[in-house]
Amino acid sequence: MTVLDMRDVRKVYRSGDADIVALDHATLHVDHGEIVALLGPSGSGKTTLLSIAGGLLTPTEGTVEVGGHDISDYSAKQLTEFRRENVGFVFQSVNLVPFLNAEENLLVVDELGGGRGGRTAKGRARQLLDELGLGHRLRNLPAQLSGGERQRVAIGRALFNNPKLVLFDEPTSALDTKLGAQVMELIRSEMKARDTAAVIVTHDSRMTEYADRTVRIVDGRLAADGATPDTAAAAKA
Amino acid sequence: MFLALKEMQRAKVRFGLLAGAVGLLVFLILFQQALLTGLINQFIGALKNQSGEVLVYNDQARKNLEGSIILPDQQTAIASVEGVAVASPLGEATFTVVAGDEEGDAVIFGYMLDGPGAPTTLVEGRLPTTTGEAVASEKDAADGYDIGDVVEVLPEGLEITVVGLARDINYSVQPVLFVDFATFEAAKLARNPDADAVLPSAIAIEIADGSSASEVAARINAEVDGVEALTRQQAVDGSPGVSSVRSSFTIILGLFYLVVPLVTGLFFLIVTFQKASALTLLRAIGAPARTLVRSLLVQVLAVMVIGSVIAFGLYAAAIQGVENLGVQVEVMPAVITSLVVLALALVTSLVAVRRVLRIDPLAATTGAGVAL
Repeated sequence: MTVLDMRDVRKVYRSGDADIVALDHATLHVDHGEIVALLGPSGSGKTTLLSIAGGLLTPTEGTVEVGGHDISDYSAKQLTEFRRENVGFVFQSVNLVPFLNAEENLLVVDELGGGRGGRTAKGRARQLLDELGLGHRLRNLPAQLSGGERQRVAIGRALFNNPKLVLFDEPTSALDTKLGAQVMELIRSEMKARDTAAVIVTHDSRMTEYADRTVRIVDGRLAADGATPDTAAAAKA
Repeated sequence: MFLALKEMQRAKVRFGLLAGAVGLLVFLILFQQALLTGLINQFIGALKNQSGEVLVYNDQARKNLEGSIILPDQQTAIASVEGVAVASPLGEATFTVVAGDEEGDAVIFGYMLDGPGAPTTLVEGRLPTTTGEAVASEKDAADGYDIGDVVEVLPEGLEITVVGLARDINYSVQPVLFVDFATFEAAKLARNPDADAVLPSAIAIEIADGSSASEVAARINAEVDGVEALTRQQAVDGSPGVSSVRSSFTIILGLFYLVVPLVTGLFFLIVTFQKASALTLLRAIGAPARTLVRSLLVQVLAVMVIGSVIAFGLYAAAIQGVENLGVQVEVMPAVITSLVVLALALVTSLVAVRRVLRIDPLAATTGAGVAL
């Protein structure tokens, strides 16, 4: 079953008299439980694609369906609700609310959804953080956590609402190679354990080994959907 | 609530300092308002708290009782104006007196015992019923003006016995004795034995049913030559010095009313700038803008309420310490002041609210926070 279905998506920015095409007729399908790495250099349009997939940005053309919701024409208000209910995000740098501790950074998702951080929510937050190896760090503020721990809390927050799709934007860019590999391993195991689809944006080809499939993006254009890393690399060569 | 309270809990010093600053500023407003009310009451309490609804001065007196006299034919003309139920003479003069073995000045108000002009804020004892009796200010009770004390009016040694105490009846920041008009006449004649008669300083009017003070004052001004009729409030507001004191305080208080909301508004604007990244992240993961705005307003409310509590605590403590300054405690104006300051703080925090509403969740992908 397809969780993310982007068809012929374009994103064009107007700059003076010129049109800047950030995403050019991109088509991407991600199935249930599938992990897709979106690989491309800086400025290639991968974050734009991720933003459109996550309802942070609306496409200029094309359709975007996530978990059966066609969000192409959603209003800003609808997109806010959509993001809260259907998608998990792990961003590159700013990932945690600095005045909330690790547990509260997960509970905030429940609060935003109208919950009151009750016993059930707290139980789930603790269970998630425990699974992520942070059971002993519940009460720590982000400033008291290491970079890897902060990303693990962010992963916990992204998974808190049992989303169908989790979007990772350069999740290891602020980490050293060893820690980056550990975080990617964790992402893979957590996604697979929950059968949750994920799109991982990265410019580091070493991270693609943790994905089921790699899609390359250059100048806003995707390599043929379904291409394997090898075929994509070969195509590029 | 969750976000607002958690943030305040984690930044107790920051929010505590702001609440403390707001508390100090609100305290200054409350204290100065109390000081103003107390000062004005000490200037014109006797006018404000007497029963004449309209006071008629000589039009040359410029609303100053000390420089006013009313001639007998004027008094007769005033009494015949429509809407005047009773028109009684009211005498006012400053005398040297001996009270509590101390020589000093006191203002004597003479009024007809069965007419308007009697003190209205009696708190202890009774009103005079005959000559030689007086109501004094409770504030001066310890200085030889307590019930049963005898005040000697110089130079002739006329004796006046205090039979009652009233609240806020000082005049020109002097002790006051409300006596019957005959006692006032005797005191004046003792000082000036050659005078043919003692003329009243003003006429105190009791209004007939169905008329209003302002209507009657207007009629007197239109129909009687050489007088200026004022409602009680006009007489109070127009007394020499009162309007200038009031306008000076108004400027100072106005500045405080401006500073408190500005300090609060700026604080929350700075805090909003500082946590722009966190707010962007929250918007990106699905926080509605209204949730973040509500969180901000809850914090403004909490700071202002805590600040007001601090202000009231300081106010209560300060009032105890400066009772002899005549500072006037009025609970309702203090509560209204706090509510006005709170409303103004909410208005100035709208700048921060506007910033919150401008947050673009997309900025979370750039790590740049938000372009505020």
